[in-house]
Amino acid sequence: MNPNLAERFAELPDLLSGHVLLSVAALAVGMAISLPLGIFAAPHRHLANTVLNIASVIQTIPGLALLALMVPLLGGTIGYAPAFMALMLYSILPILRNTIVGLQGVDRGVIEAARGLGLTDRERLWQVELPLALPVIVAGLRTATVWVVGAATLATPVGAPSLGNYIFAGLQTRNWLSVIFGCLFAAGLAIVLDQLIRLMEVAARERQKGLAIRVGGALMIVLMAATLPRFVELPVNAPAPVLAEGETPTRLRAEEGALQGARVRIGAKAFSEQYILADLIETVLEAEGAEVERRDNLGSTIVFDALRTNEIDVLVDYTGTIWATIMNRPEPVDRYAMFAEMSGWLYEQYGIVTLGRLGFENAYGFAMRADRAAELDARALGDLAPHARDLQVGGDAEVFTRSEWISTRDAYGFGAMSTRAMDATFMYDAVRDGQVDLITAYTTDGRIAAYDLVVLNDPLGVLPPYDAVILLSPEAAARAGLADALAPLVGAIDSTDMREANRLVDLERQTPSQAAGWLLNEIGLGE
Amino acid sequence: MADPATPILELRSVAKTYAGGVEAVRGVDLSLAPGELLALTGESGCGKTTVLKMINRLEQASGGSIVFEGRDIAGIDPVHLRRQIGWVMQGDGLFPHFTVRENIAILPKLLGWEPARCELRVREMMKLVQLDVDEFGERYPQALSGGQRQRVGFARALAGNPGLVLMDEAFSALDPITRDTLQQDFKRLQTELGFSAVMVTHDMAEALIMADRIAVMRDGEIIQQGTPRELLRAPSEAYVSQLLDTPRRQIRAIAELDA
Repeated sequence: MNPNLAERFAELPDLLSGHVLLSVAALAVGMAISLPLGIFAAPHRHLANTVLNIASVIQTIPGLALLALMVPLLGGTIGYAPAFMALMLYSILPILRNTIVGLQGVDRGVIEAARGLGLTDRERLWQVELPLALPVIVAGLRTATVWVVGAATLATPVGAPSLGNYIFAGLQTRNWLSVIFGCLFAAGLAIVLDQLIRLMEVAARERQKGLAIRVGGALMIVLMAATLPRFVELPVNAPAPVLAEGETPTRLRAEEGALQGARVRIGAKAFSEQYILADLIETVLEAEGAEVERRDNLGSTIVFDALRTNEIDVLVDYTGTIWATIMNRPEPVDRYAMFAEMSGWLYEQYGIVTLGRLGFENAYGFAMRADRAAELDARALGDLAPHARDLQVGGDAEVFTRSEWISTRDAYGFGAMSTRAMDATFMYDAVRDGQVDLITAYTTDGRIAAYDLVVLNDPLGVLPPYDAVILLSPEAAARAGLADALAPLVGAIDSTDMREANRLVDLERQTPSQAAGWLLNEIGLGE
Repeated sequence: MADPATPILELRSVAKTYAGGVEAVRGVDLSLAPGELLALTGESGCGKTTVLKMINRLEQASGGSIVFEGRDIAGIDPVHLRRQIGWVMQGDGLFPHFTVRENIAILPKLLGWEPARCELRVREMMKLVQLDVDEFGERYPQALSGGQRQRVGFARALAGNPGLVLMDEAFSALDPITRDTLQQDFKRLQTELGFSAVMVTHDMAEALIMADRIAVMRDGEIIQQGTPRELLRAPSEAYVSQLLDTPRRQIRAIAELDA
């Protein structure tokens, strides 16, 4: 099998079970809330309209935003809880609306007949109204199922493992196979659940006990098979990282490590460099005997909150990012002063320990095609000011709201430039193909050299330094052996090595773990 | 069977005023002897259906009292009351998700009868309304004609063996031939089983043919009640004569054509 595909399949038990558990729990609780609420509200027009309006407002919040909002609302908790809450809220409207509409749509004559015959309110509800409204209610449940299974892929950035991991990671590393893999499984899961629910309804309506038992059994089997890895340690556990041809397995030191049996959770944001470094740290810690858990694809501030609240133990972050978005300091300072001040501040404020700099810097740099720069005679950022009106700058989703862009714009007179936000993985191709003139590149990206881009000088020193640093959560810092195990990484990775590792993933289509293996060997920690 | 002298149902100064002050029914006095069929007739909106629904408490009377089998219904639990009174409505009101058998058996089941007794009752009822059990028992209402559905409606109303049956425009949705057959069949059933009945109809001819006694309503009040013969011979006011004129004129017209 293609190693990429093999690696995707190796991740499947964990991600699929996470996805199924999350969706089914959200749907079950959503149904347990909306069904009784709908039954209670349906006879009262005014109340029914009010609850439907509230549910509709929740529905209008974009899925990703609802998930992200749950993190601060739950006091910074990441993972299962915020994802569950958001999806559960998301499942309410379709079930609630269809319950109310279904019950209100039952023929008035039939209801009067039931009353006139002497059925109690409860008998009328269970024997007449609910059975007659059932097709409409089930249609709502099916809508909710398809929505929730689809929206559960958005649980990845808040730290709940789901099939969305394939999509987010695939998008960042340009691994389209991974994106398609995630989509196919998410869509397949939605279709299977939808059809099983439909068959359940047919069985209920036609009163076919045999069909009901078979469909119920099938549903149980699907759910149990999908969630089994959550509860049972499979005999064949996740296989060792798949290695490219000619590569030798990377095994570090002895089996008996200082971290034997310790659980360590590594957080990572959603781009190639973060995946590679998380893989690298994972290898180093596993060599010491630690059991490593990964929390990939977290949002930039979500991952910091997770570190602060001890939900993850280790994170690679960048001095300039902490400076601007966490410390809210607009003015950049000298590289070493920033590192020193940031380390002290993090420890004082949160007890977060800065273990040290990895050695390379991954800064924002304004890059453009070499031929285009020559055309405009641009070497430094200030040279672009006269052309600002005709230029468009592309950047990742957050950069245009960050102080880096705002101070650059103000310092160099870029006010007239138009901006275009896109996923970071697409911006290098966009500038190469002339769709934008300039991008806010990451200076360690391998595509800068590969695409013949030049990074313009910043003579005014507006752009802050971005030294990569290893951060430990307050609890992790107190844990024996963890800092020692990671110490060899401090100062070990220079910009050239990091750029090459990124290039392997972004351009050579290697997996992050392959690139991490290469990097380990390069810095002398491998075999 | 109760003493023929004691009425099974008595309405005394019954009134219904809706929120907002609309007086739908005022000062209605009625009495129904065991085995008697009373027709409430009048134009749409005259309050006849409201009177009917107050008898089994589908509507709550806002004044006066209603006595059923010697007890004021205000003191009887509505569900308990309704299970003792048959209910047949316009357009049958059958449960579309129940088979014919299940529709008829619903009240016996709610009354907690054993399955064998319920089944026996279904067969008995279907025979009474002249529907073949084997042919129709497992059908759903949408697979029946209008007349067949109304027969099931009668069977369902009579399955609990009620002493009183209430009918709200039970025949008006049927074509004339089916209506005629069903009217006669119902009369026969009523004579055979001996229950009392109050039927609401806007069709004066139907009231004249079927009822032992007719109460004519106008604007929420009873303006005349008596046997069909009494009404025909001595209408109390011009409005009653007007109602009686319609069937008479039709009969004359047909007779002239035939002559």
